[in-house]
Amino acid sequence: MLERLGRQFGYDERSAALLVFPVFAVLMVVAVYPIVYSFYTSLFDIVLTRPWRRPFVGFGNYARIFADPQFWTAVQRTTVYTVVTVSITTVMALFVALLLNEAFPGRRLLSALILLPWATPSIVNGLMWKWIYDPGYGLLNGILVQLGWIEKYIVWLGDPDKTLFMIANAAIWKQMPLAAILLLVSMKSISNDLYRAATVDGANVFQRFLHVTLPALKPGLMLVLVYETMISIRHFDLFLIMTQGGPGDASYTLSWQIYVETFRNLKFGIGAALSYVLALATFILSYLFIRGFGSKA
Amino acid sequence: MSLSDPRSVSRRTVLKAAAATAAITVAAEHRSAWAQAPTINFTSWSAAVDQVKSHVSAFEKATNLKVNYENFPWAQYRTSVVTRLVGNAPMDVLWVSDAWLPEFAEAGWLATIDDVPELVKYNADAAPFCTQSMLYKGKQYGLAYYGDHMSFVYNTEILAKAGITTPPTTWAEVVEQSLKIKQTGVVEYPMLMALAIDTWLIEFMSAMVFSHGGRFVDAAGSAIMAETGKGVVEAANWIREAIHTHKIVAPGAVETSEITALRALGSGQHAFCIVPTYRLRALNDPSQATAAGKLRPTLMPKGPNATASATCGWIRFYGMTPGAKANATRRANAVKFMEFFGGKDTGGNYTLQKLLLTDVGLPFCTTPLSNDPEVKAFWTRWAGGGDVIAQQAATAVKKDVIAPWFGEWNETANAAWQSIFLNRATPQAAAASMAQKWKELRGS
Amino acid sequence: MRAATDDGRRAMIAKRWGRGLLISAFSALLVIYVAGPVAWLVSSSLQSEADITAVPPNWLPPKVTFGNFEAIFSNTTREVTYETRRQGDPATGRFLPSGAENLLPALWNSFTVGLWVAILNVVVSITAAYAIAVIHFKGRQAALYTILATRVIPDIALIVPLFLVMRNLDLVNTRFALVVTYLAVTVPFTIFILISYFEQIPRDLYRAARADGCSHVQALRHVYLPLSLPALVASVMFAFLTSWNEFIFALILTQNIASQTLPIVISGFVMDFTTSFSFVNAAGVIAIVPPVVLAMMFERYIVSGLTAGAVKG
Repeated sequence: MLERLGRQFGYDERSAALLVFPVFAVLMVVAVYPIVYSFYTSLFDIVLTRPWRRPFVGFGNYARIFADPQFWTAVQRTTVYTVVTVSITTVMALFVALLLNEAFPGRRLLSALILLPWATPSIVNGLMWKWIYDPGYGLLNGILVQLGWIEKYIVWLGDPDKTLFMIANAAIWKQMPLAAILLLVSMKSISNDLYRAATVDGANVFQRFLHVTLPALKPGLMLVLVYETMISIRHFDLFLIMTQGGPGDASYTLSWQIYVETFRNLKFGIGAALSYVLALATFILSYLFIRGFGSKA
Repeated sequence: MSLSDPRSVSRRTVLKAAAATAAITVAAEHRSAWAQAPTINFTSWSAAVDQVKSHVSAFEKATNLKVNYENFPWAQYRTSVVTRLVGNAPMDVLWVSDAWLPEFAEAGWLATIDDVPELVKYNADAAPFCTQSMLYKGKQYGLAYYGDHMSFVYNTEILAKAGITTPPTTWAEVVEQSLKIKQTGVVEYPMLMALAIDTWLIEFMSAMVFSHGGRFVDAAGSAIMAETGKGVVEAANWIREAIHTHKIVAPGAVETSEITALRALGSGQHAFCIVPTYRLRALNDPSQATAAGKLRPTLMPKGPNATASATCGWIRFYGMTPGAKANATRRANAVKFMEFFGGKDTGGNYTLQKLLLTDVGLPFCTTPLSNDPEVKAFWTRWAGGGDVIAQQAATAVKKDVIAPWFGEWNETANAAWQSIFLNRATPQAAAASMAQKWKELRGS
Repeated sequence: MRAATDDGRRAMIAKRWGRGLLISAFSALLVIYVAGPVAWLVSSSLQSEADITAVPPNWLPPKVTFGNFEAIFSNTTREVTYETRRQGDPATGRFLPSGAENLLPALWNSFTVGLWVAILNVVVSITAAYAIAVIHFKGRQAALYTILATRVIPDIALIVPLFLVMRNLDLVNTRFALVVTYLAVTVPFTIFILISYFEQIPRDLYRAARADGCSHVQALRHVYLPLSLPALVASVMFAFLTSWNEFIFALILTQNIASQTLPIVISGFVMDFTTSFSFVNAAGVIAIVPPVVLAMMFERYIVSGLTAGAVKG
């Protein structure tokens, strides 16, 4: 008996190692070296326009970052953007998944249409929304004027109070389909028997949702929250295409600051340190989500 | 092997082998491309691509050298080129903006050409402003690709409709005329400005500052931008009032990039604008702009403290990498290339320079070409005559903020400018932050 | 469910109508939200430049022109000499950006890269996800978090070292570099998706299979894979679409026609003053079509779902 268990244990371990190895092989080559290199770079004071002097500063770069008010502005911008994007995307995705989980004529067509935003490359997405928000010719202004909700064309992206939200809107539009699909996939694993039992017990739609659907969706929700947070917190493409950190510093997020420090200020050390700060925040948030949702992992 | 199912193992192996084979095939396709001999690696941004390509074909035919021509969109050019330079990619010749010269030179990414007589001899034919823009610490780093300046352009039709007979000569007159145009209801925002955070913003703002008779820094390089009466504060004030008080500039201007502004100007919706002179070709082309034929340059308006019109000029040039210069063959090839493109081609003509002008409207640095009848005809056709342009070119001043810390300073400056445009900071406060950053960077 | 009384029946019908109304309302809103901007994209790609900048905007093209699409499809790579250089087309008033002929080859590049990434993703991730989700081995948590940790560094910080790696392997300007990069980018999350799904499959099935003498691979093949079709499809779509849409790595790693992907070519268009917005929108429409077609072919595996009964065992 113990012997059998012993062999079993060894077999499990070996199989696991073999099954997991291809992943690590791929990741090693491409992902690990850049990550290590980045960290190494962050420990030095590297300014490309001063290549002859690259002193080792340990965590000096990190200290400078935390003392920089621009950094804290970026943190605030990133937080607002991430919270808005993740929460609205998740809520919308939940509604859409619930809708698509019902059987009704035209569902197939609808689920195909859902894919349109997801299929749009971020550059096309950014340009399209920039065009829609245009203060001179934009569709948004056009519709609102025709509906009579506003009198004249107003500035959307260029208004610092609105900028982050307009960008978030473009991001939500594009990211919602994936989130919806992930939730839907998770919903599909809920057995119909559970719903039937609940109905027999006298539960109405809301109660069924609260007590059957939502708990079973926990893994799906965790997946969505972790993924959405990871990509929102470090989103770059839309900021590059739409606002370049502006107007003023209205859309100056952490990932934008990393770009500026690295490629405009040519301060590779600071840029690398900033990315590690962002990485750490991302990891902690993901860890909290995974733990909080009680994953068996 | 503990995976006891033999069929399963072999299937996975087959899959992996297939993937590997496909990968190797894809990689092999790449390797064969590299196997071709002598190649010159030329990197540029995506402007005048067809013109450059045609000149590359001519070069390849004339010299039997192969050119590997890569181009990136302008907005991503610096990022891409910095990555490649840091990554030691094989680059021989690249386009560089004059603003980046000190940074790139300090970083060791550009080679001097003072010791290359085949190239330096062209300085004799080049406008002094151009040659000086390629000097850093007394050494020359390239040959000009093109040189330009900011022009003040007005729409003749709109002015006529508003009953204005002569274009403005001072910034105060610009306000007057704009208000008059606004009152007659011809256009809502007569003065068009591209105030988005763009690579062009520093050039637009320098034109504003210089035309107000001012400078950012003095001859010694110390910041004078925060001082009243030195131009920056006055220019900033003019723009702020134009947007918020007189309302002759659209509030959406903070998100208007240079290209968007061009479209708007070309569709005849504004009366005045500051544009790079090379845009005149497209602006007056009926197949590209509805306002074609109506857009004319006039001398840059003067600020109250200015004695004469002034504007900002810039050049972009061909630079050679030290890696290319260190290798004898690569050096020889790169020199041939730079001569063919930045100087005369093997036929003894400034072919590309003329081509860039007639096709795209890019002004050149080569003074002898100005007397060419085709060139004169070009300016007559597309700008209503070349006199104003020549006059303005003579007043063009190089950006005085070009320094090894330009990149970083520019970030602060851009944010400061925008805070002025958004009326979230006074011109004095914003200029002070610019000056502060300059002092900080210069001192360190 | 049968209603015993007339009242009950009426209540049921009312409920059905209510449900139908709710569904229709939500569906309509969703369609407008999702398809509206794309419809605008399509509409503006069929208009001329002057129409597109009209105020108020033209919803439907006042005059449908296929000029932009013609330009894209009729372009072929040609040798550019002084004689053949494009100076514009005054006759038609349509200006083509100089990279227009690269659009279709770039489309093909994007497509092949995406396909490879999708296929390899599944191959690599299934095994790892199974191991982490099902086999309770010692390093399991560490493995999961390590895999996730490779994705917490922002892409912008990775482009320089990644370029260095590719350069040292002599892989710059190859599609292979993109495939490998995108694999590293998508595999962690694909594993995550599959783990999450595998964990929802009742462990009894696994125990039964193992008790029957199945090896791990057999358990994977016979128990988990058949039940995970929706998650697998979602992973494939995720991998393909992430590669299709990716911009910054492609920008840094590829810059010639042989390897450029679609987003890079399109970004090149926007810089040119002579490019019309309607042309850019046409390019955008073309960028959307292939993935939508592919995804439509696969969506039924997710939406219709086939596991509801089987899972409960």
